[in-house]
Amino acid sequence: MSQRVFITGYGIITSIGTNRTENLKSLIDGTSGFGELEVLDTVHRKSLPSCEIKHDDRQLRDLAGLKKNETGFTRTSLLGLIALQEAIRSAGLSKEEVNTSGLLSATTTGGIREFEKYFYDLLDLQQQGSFIQFSDTANPGEHGERIADHAGIGNYIGTISTACSSSANAIMQGARLIRHRKLDRVICGGAEALSKFTINGFNSLMIVDPGHCRPFDVSRAGLNLGEGAAYLVLESEEVVARDGKTALGELKGYGNANDAFHQTASSPEGTGAIRAMQLALESGKITPDAVDYINAHGTATENNDLSEGMGIQTLFHERVPLFSSTKPFTGHTLAAAGSIEAVFSLLAMENQMVWPNLNFNNRMPELSISPVRKLLVNTPLKNVLSNSFGFGGNTSSLLLASA
Amino acid sequence: MVGQQKYYINGIGIISPQRTFGHAEFLTHINVYDKNVLNAVTPDFKAFINPVQLRRLSRMLRIGMTASIMCLRDARIQAPDGIITATGYGFLEETEKFLREMLDRGEKQLTPTFFMQGTYNALAGLIALSTKCTGYNNTYVSKGFAFENALDDALMQLEEKPDQNILVGSYDEAAAVQHVSGLREKHYKSEHINSLDLFKTQTRGSLQGEGSAFFDISGSETTSTWCRIQDLEIVYAPTHDIKLASLLSAFLEKNNITPRDVDVWVNGVSGDVLNDSLLSSLKNSLLQQVPEVRFKHLSGEYCTASSFALWLGASILKKQMVPEAVAFGSPFPEHLNTVLIVNQYMNKNYSFILLKK
Repeated sequence: MSQRVFITGYGIITSIGTNRTENLKSLIDGTSGFGELEVLDTVHRKSLPSCEIKHDDRQLRDLAGLKKNETGFTRTSLLGLIALQEAIRSAGLSKEEVNTSGLLSATTTGGIREFEKYFYDLLDLQQQGSFIQFSDTANPGEHGERIADHAGIGNYIGTISTACSSSANAIMQGARLIRHRKLDRVICGGAEALSKFTINGFNSLMIVDPGHCRPFDVSRAGLNLGEGAAYLVLESEEVVARDGKTALGELKGYGNANDAFHQTASSPEGTGAIRAMQLALESGKITPDAVDYINAHGTATENNDLSEGMGIQTLFHERVPLFSSTKPFTGHTLAAAGSIEAVFSLLAMENQMVWPNLNFNNRMPELSISPVRKLLVNTPLKNVLSNSFGFGGNTSSLLLASA
Repeated sequence: MVGQQKYYINGIGIISPQRTFGHAEFLTHINVYDKNVLNAVTPDFKAFINPVQLRRLSRMLRIGMTASIMCLRDARIQAPDGIITATGYGFLEETEKFLREMLDRGEKQLTPTFFMQGTYNALAGLIALSTKCTGYNNTYVSKGFAFENALDDALMQLEEKPDQNILVGSYDEAAAVQHVSGLREKHYKSEHINSLDLFKTQTRGSLQGEGSAFFDISGSETTSTWCRIQDLEIVYAPTHDIKLASLLSAFLEKNNITPRDVDVWVNGVSGDVLNDSLLSSLKNSLLQQVPEVRFKHLSGEYCTASSFALWLGASILKKQMVPEAVAFGSPFPEHLNTVLIVNQYMNKNYSFILLKK
C-alpha cells in the first residue's frame, strides 16, 4: 500500500492546442480558446460562444493517424485517441507495456454528439447509411473500449462518469489500482466533445455566460463550455525504479467526497470541497502550508466559485496558497477538466510558472482572497492541488508533486 | 485480493424482471416475457420514497433509489460510508426526452429536469443527498465492466479501511431507443421468442433486460450477512477459449481452489450463438463437472446484468438451495459453499466473481 505513484507521460488536446507544446505556449501567451462555434452545428453558434477545437472531425482523424477503413470514431473518441497517443509517446511505452496497461477513461456524454446528429435516422430501422457506425454511441463506455482497442491496451478497462469531476476520479482510481498492486501501469484521463446536448443542457440550467467567463470575479455570470482530452501515464514506484524511467511528477494524494447538499448545486460553505482537499492532503501526508498552488475548479458559476472560494479560505486560513482557474483558457471541458488541469498543474511545476486566472478584476464580497491575475514566472512549485467538482455533489481533489 | 481482508455482503436490495424484492420467496413464481423486452417488476414506491420526492423522480431513479433503500434496510444501517454505482446506458429515457425536445423545438425552451436526471451519477448523488453521506462517491459506466469496476472499487475501499459499509449498486433501464440501436448492433434478437426459450435459440442477439441491484459490502460479518466475496477479476476481450480457460484456472489457483471445489457456477450466457461461444466452450472443458445455473432468461441482457448474478449467487449460498428455474444440468451438492460467477457481455467484457458461504 505504501507504493508511490509516478507520472511518466501525458498527452493533451484542448481549444488552446492539439498537444503539450501548443497548450504550454497558449498558457504563457495568455491565449484563450473562447470564440464563436464554427465546427459544431447549433443555433447557439453566435449566441453561446465556447472553447471549441477548430479542427473538424476529418482533420482530427488525420491528427490521430486513422486509416479510412477505421470507422466508428466519435469526436469524443478522436480527441481521446489523440491525447492518449501523445501520452503513450511521451512515456516512451513499448507495445508490450501498452498492452499490459490499464485504461481508466472518463466522459459525461461519450458519443452523444453523433447520437443527436443522426438521432431520427438511427431510430428508423429502415434507414441505412454510413451513420450506422455511430449506432451504439449513446453508450458512455463505448469511447473507452474504442480507444483502448486502437492503442492496444488490453489489461483493465474502466470508464467513470461523475459529471465534472470524472477524470479526476479516473486518475485517483488509477493510482489506487497501482497502490493495491493490481496493476503496474494505468493510463488515466478523460475525453469530451462539445455537443448540442451539453450546450443546451447547461443553458437550460441558466449557468452559461454568453460572454467570456470570469472565475472568482464579483461579476461572474456562468461558465463557458469547452472540449478536449488529456491522459496521464501512471506507473508504480517499483516499475519506475526497475526500468530506470524518468518521472515527470508524482501523484501524491487524492480525495473524493460528496457535498450531499443539492443535486446540482454546491453548499455555500464548501463542505464537499473542504473534505476533498483535506483527504488529498492527508493521503499525501502533507500539511496545508506545504501547498504552493491550487488549480481551482473555478467554473465561474455564481455557486461554484463561492463554494470553492469559501472552502479554500476555510481550509487554509491566513495562508491561502496561490490559486487560479484556467477555465477562461479552455472553457469547462466537463469530464476532461480534471485530467486537462492535472496536465496544466504538471506544466506549471515543470516550468516554474503559475497560470493566470484570466478576466478577474474584482473580488466577490463574501471572500477575502483573490486568484493570480498575471502569469508568474520563476515560481518554484513543489505541491499542487487540482480541484474538480460536479453535479450530484461529487467533489474530488488531486495532489500532484514535482518530480 | 490475496490479502487478509474479508468482504461480506451484508444487505441486498434488488428490483428486476422477476419478483426479487422482499427476499421472502426465491424465484418460485417466474415471469415469462414474449416481446424480447424484460421490464422490471416494481414494488409500491410509496413504501420507500416520500410522495413529494416521488413525483420529481424519473422511473429509473425511483427503481434505483428504492433498491438502495431496500438494501440499507436489509443491512439494518441508516447510511453507508461510501456509495458506488454502475450503469451501462444510464438514464437513457431522460436523455432521449431532452434530445427530442431539443431537436423538435430548435434548441429553445428546454426542460432542465430531463438534463439533470439524465446524468450518470444522478442516482449516486441522490442517495448521498438522502442519506447525508458525504463519504466516497463514484460512478462507473464501462459497458459490461461497470458493475465489476464498482465492486472492485468497493473491495479496495474496504482494504483501505475495513470498518465501513460501502453501498454498491447497478441500474440499467430497457430504454426503447437502446432497443433500436441494439437491433442494429445485433445485441438483441430480431425474431420474437418466449424468454424461457432463450437458450434454445441458435441466432444472434439476446433479450433486453433491466434492473437495479444494491449490495451493502463490509469488512465484517453481521447477523444479516448473505455471503462472502472471495475474489473478483475482469478479462477484456480474450481472443480465444483457451486463453479464457487458462485465466480462469489461474484465478481459481490464486484462491487455492480447483473446479472440483466449486459447488455451483453461474453461467452468463446470453442466448447469442456467437457471443456465447467462449462460455459454452468453458462448460465443455474446465467447468464440465461443475453444476451450472443460468439467469439471463430471467433478467434479460444488460450491461450490469452481473449484479443480478451476484444476487443469485448470494441467495443460493444464503438459502442453501438452487431454484428450478435457474438449474441447468447436473445435480447440486447438498451443502453449497462456493459459487463461481462467469459473465460475459457482448463477448468483450468477461468477469469472474468467487463467492463463499
